Amino acid sequence: MPEDEGSSAEATPARATNRGFGRVLVLIYGIFALAATARSLVQIATKFNEAPIAYLLSAFAAAVYIVATVALARGDRTSRKVATVAISIELVGVLLVGAASLLFPAEFPKASVWSGFGRGYGFVPLVLPFVGLWWLHRTRPSSD
Amino acid sequence: MDNRGTAATVRIADVTGPFANAIIILSLVLAIFAFVLAIVNRTRPLAILVGAAILEMLLLAFFVGGIVQMIGSDHDFARAEFVGYLLACAAVVPAAVWWAWGEPTRASMVVLGIAFLIMPILVVRTQQVWAGPSA
Repeated sequence: MPEDEGSSAEATPARATNRGFGRVLVLIYGIFALAATARSLVQIATKFNEAPIAYLLSAFAAAVYIVATVALARGDRTSRKVATVAISIELVGVLLVGAASLLFPAEFPKASVWSGFGRGYGFVPLVLPFVGLWWLHRTRPSSD
Repeated sequence: MDNRGTAATVRIADVTGPFANAIIILSLVLAIFAFVLAIVNRTRPLAILVGAAILEMLLLAFFVGGIVQMIGSDHDFARAEFVGYLLACAAVVPAAVWWAWGEPTRASMVVLGIAFLIMPILVVRTQQVWAGPSA
């Protein structure tokens, strides 16, 4: 704890979501925003009729990642609330879609980053919302 | 169709293959370098910027080579996806450098390390899309 504070507090606002570890978190969110967006664009452009609901979910996941990335990267007061909402939706999404994809595999033909709890991406999509919410909690302003 | 597909697969190995291998090796070396810098708390040295610039030149060559080969090929694969992967390959390193350089702490080197680590994944996925049938 003290070591962590020391290494990231030098010239930076201590509570910004986009500093220190937050810098890394934004990168990872950005990678998933890119991956999910590209994937859903390809799905919707080339084979939308095969599984429209699953592919719309894919696009929805992409949108959630984009919002979370931008909000965490901005790091101001409003962005913090936006990020909290987006990451909460992300958490519910990965749990619901993950469970649904295992219970009804026919409806989810490996369609989104959330299928199988993000199995195709080393389960990072499952861990990421927990880390995101922890980071928001850790960097929260004392007045909140 | 099978013959043409095979010939095209061989040709990407001829032209973008060496670039892909160089990209993968250089990315992994730079990733290790970045994580070592993070551990010893030495942030944003010029050397890693030079390394990233060399890597980006290879990635741009990979991009151009990939597009040229795609245009010169008539085998069946997911072309839009292929171009998407080529674009992502070329975009990730500059974006990560920009994002890392705005951070004065060792986290900047972790940002670069992770970005370098995903380059081999992106390059191999690009080649898989090229080789595979259009899904």
